[in-house]
Amino acid sequence: MSGTVAITPILAAGSNAALITFLVYTLAVFGLAAISNQLLKSKSFLSEYFLGSRSLGVWAFALTFAATSASGGSFTGFPSKIYSHGWTLALWIGSYMVVPICAMGLLGKRINHVARISGSITVPDVLRDRFHSVAFGVLATLLIVFFMTFNLVAQFKAGSTILRTLLSDVELYQQAVAGVAQMTADMPVLSEVDPGYLICLFAFGVAVIIYTTYGGFHAVVWTDVMQGIVMVIGVLIMLPLAIWQVGGLQHATDEMAKMTPPRIGTVTLELSEPQDGVFALPAKTWLTAPGAEQGRRLFRVAENTSIPAGGTEIPDVSVVEITTPEEIARISGQLERDPRTDQLQVPYQLSAINVSEYVYGAGKRGVYVVGPGPHKSSSDGFLPLSLAISFFFMWAISGAGQPSSMVRLMAFNSSKTLRRSIFTVTIYYSLIYFPLVVIFCCARILLPGMDSTTDRIMPEMAVVLTKNIGMLWLAGLLVAAPFAAVMSTVDSFLLMISSAVVRDIYQRNINPDASERTIKRLSYACTFVVGTGAMLGALNPPQYLQDIIVYTGSGLAACFLAPMVYTLYWPRANAPGVIAGMLAGFGAHLSMYVAGMFMFEDFFKNVRPYQLFDFDPIIVGLFVSFVTVYVVSLMTPPPPAEIVDRYFRKSNAKS
Amino acid sequence: MNSATAAPTGDEQQFDTVYLNSRREAVIIFGVWVVCLLWSVPYCYIFGYPPGDAEFNPDTFSTIWGVPSWVCWGILFPWGASNLFTIWFCFFYMQDDDLGEAREGVDLAEEIAERHAAEDGGAGR
Repeated sequence: MSGTVAITPILAAGSNAALITFLVYTLAVFGLAAISNQLLKSKSFLSEYFLGSRSLGVWAFALTFAATSASGGSFTGFPSKIYSHGWTLALWIGSYMVVPICAMGLLGKRINHVARISGSITVPDVLRDRFHSVAFGVLATLLIVFFMTFNLVAQFKAGSTILRTLLSDVELYQQAVAGVAQMTADMPVLSEVDPGYLICLFAFGVAVIIYTTYGGFHAVVWTDVMQGIVMVIGVLIMLPLAIWQVGGLQHATDEMAKMTPPRIGTVTLELSEPQDGVFALPAKTWLTAPGAEQGRRLFRVAENTSIPAGGTEIPDVSVVEITTPEEIARISGQLERDPRTDQLQVPYQLSAINVSEYVYGAGKRGVYVVGPGPHKSSSDGFLPLSLAISFFFMWAISGAGQPSSMVRLMAFNSSKTLRRSIFTVTIYYSLIYFPLVVIFCCARILLPGMDSTTDRIMPEMAVVLTKNIGMLWLAGLLVAAPFAAVMSTVDSFLLMISSAVVRDIYQRNINPDASERTIKRLSYACTFVVGTGAMLGALNPPQYLQDIIVYTGSGLAACFLAPMVYTLYWPRANAPGVIAGMLAGFGAHLSMYVAGMFMFEDFFKNVRPYQLFDFDPIIVGLFVSFVTVYVVSLMTPPPPAEIVDRYFRKSNAKS
Repeated sequence: MNSATAAPTGDEQQFDTVYLNSRREAVIIFGVWVVCLLWSVPYCYIFGYPPGDAEFNPDTFSTIWGVPSWVCWGILFPWGASNLFTIWFCFFYMQDDDLGEAREGVDLAEEIAERHAAEDGGAGR
C-alpha cells in the first residue's frame, strides 16, 4: 500500500462533507438543548441547570467526563506533537493508562457524598460549605473565573481555527469569506480580523452559546455523549486505515527509524517567465533545487502564497526541507510517476535558501523512534526524563484537580454508576490515546513535509485516508472529532463560569433571598453574556494563546487539588489551612512563570516557565500547596466539632 | 457489588462508612499510579533513551508488531495490566456505598437563617 500512496491536497469534496457534518451536527445539538430545556421546567432550576439534578447514569456520566477532559488538544495539539516528535509521545501520554481511575476514583465518591450532605451545586459551594467559610468560597470562585475566562477565549479561538481548517476549500465558505471581507473592510476592529476566522468564530460561538444557554447542564452532558461517540468512532475508523495504507505498522516504524529531522525556513521562488494572471503557489507544493553530488534538495511549501500578474519572484516562501535520503528518493519517485500532483507546472528556480537545523536530532537517525525525540529549539530534546515524570504526574494527578472534572463528579447518581463509569472511561481512553499515537506516526510517512503546519495534520490525515479508499464523504465524520472535542470543553467551561457568577457570587453573597424566577433569568443571561464576551475576546485573542491554555490548566490544578483532597479526607483541615494552600499553590505556580520571564530572554517569543529541578511548574505548585495546607492547619486551631461531625461521622454519631 | 464493609476499629468506629471506604479506595488508586510511574518511566528511560553519543542502528532496533519494544513493554504492557486492575477494582473491590439524599438548598437556607438571625440580633441591640 505504501508504494501507491498519493500525495494530494485536501479536496473540496472532503470539506463539503465537513460542511454537511457540521450542519447536521449543529442541528443535533440544538435538538438536545430543546429536550434539556423541558427538564428545567419540572425540577429545581439551579440544581438542574448547573448540575443535572445529580441524576447522571453510566453512559452520560462516563462520556461527559471523558469528552470534557479530552479537550481540543487531544485532536489537534496531540496529533501535532506525535507527528513532530514520533514514538516518544507514547511515554508523554503514558499515564493515561491510569487517568480514568485516578481522575474519577481519587475524589469521585467522596466529593459526591460531601456535596449531597450540604446540597452544594458548584465546586466553590463544596469548599465554602465544608469549612463554613465565605472567604474560601469567594477565593475559589474568583480563581475559577480568572483561569476559566482566559481558557474560554482560547478554546473559542481553537474551535474557530478548526472549523476554518475544515471548511477552507468549500466554495460556499469561500464566497462567504469574500462577502464578509467586503463588508468589514471599513469597520475599525473587524477589518483587522481574518474574514474566514470571523465567520467560523461566529458560527461556532453562536451554536455553543445558544445550546448551552438554553439547555443548561443536561444539554451539555448529552452533547458531550454525542461528541464522545463521534471522537471514538473517528479514531477507530482511522486506525486500521492508517496502518493499512502505510503498509503495516512495522513498515511505518522502520521508515521512521531511518528518518532525520527536516530543515525549516524560507526560500525565494523565481519563475523563469512572468505569468499572465495571478500565480498561486499553494501550500504543500513540492519544490526542488540542485543538491550536492548531482542529487537534489526537496522542499514542501508550508503556506499558500501568490505572485501578482506579471511578477516573477516570491521572496520568503515558508518551506520544510526533507533531509532523509530514502524519503527524498521515495517522494521523488512518486512525483515522477504523477507529475501533475502537487508540483509547479512552470519552470522555476530557488534562491536565497535559508533553512535551519533542529537543535536536537539534526542528522541523527532513529530520533523519531527513541527518546527524548527531536526538538527544534531545545538541546535536551522533546521529552527529557524530568519532563517525562512531570507529564506522568500532570495527566493523572493534576487531571483530578480540574474543577470542570470535579463538578461532574458531583453529578452522578450512585456509587454503582461511578464504578461502571470508571471502567467505561478506562476502555474509552484506551481506544483513543494509544491508537492516536499509532495513527499519527503513520502520518509521518503518508504526509511528509508537514512539519511547519502540524496543527492541520488531523484534518489532512482524515482526508488522505478516506480519499485513498474512495470514500471522501467519510472525512466529514473524522474531522468532526476535533471539533466535537473543542465544543464539549467550551460548553462545560461556559457553564462553570456562569454558575460561579450566579450561584457563588450573586446568590450566596449578594442576594440569598432571590426568587427562582430571578435566578433563572440571571442564569440564562449570564451564560449568554459570558459566552458572547468570550467570543468577542477571541476576535483579537492574545498572542500566546496555547501557552495560556497550558498555564490555566496546570494553574487550576495547583490551586484546587490539595485543598480539595484535604477538604474531603482530612478532618483536621481548617479554613486558614486550605485558604493558605490555595493561595500558595497559585503563587508557587505563577512564580515559576514570572521567574521564566526574567531568566529567559526569549520568554515573550517562546513562553517557557522556569523549571525548578527541571520539573514542570505544576509539580512545584502542587508540592507547595499540599505542604502549606498541612502545616498551616496544624499551626491554627482545629475546625469546629460540629463541622467535622457533619461531614465525617456516621449519622447516628452526628446526632 | 458487595456492600459489606470491614468493621472499623478504635477511633474510626464513629467515622462515616462512605468516608472510610472512599479514603481506602483513594489510597489504593494512588498506589497503583505510583506503581505505573515506577515501572513506565524508568523502563522507557533505560531501554528507550540511548546515550547521547550512541550511534543508532535501524537494523538492530527491536520492535514487537511494529511497536518499538521499549514502548511495548514500558507503556502497552502496564497499560493492559492497569486496565485489568481497573476491571477488578471496579467490579470486585470498590464498595457500593449509599451516598445519601441530596439536601438541595440546605446550605443556602442555613446562610439565610444565619443572616436573618444576625440582622435580628443587630436590630435588638
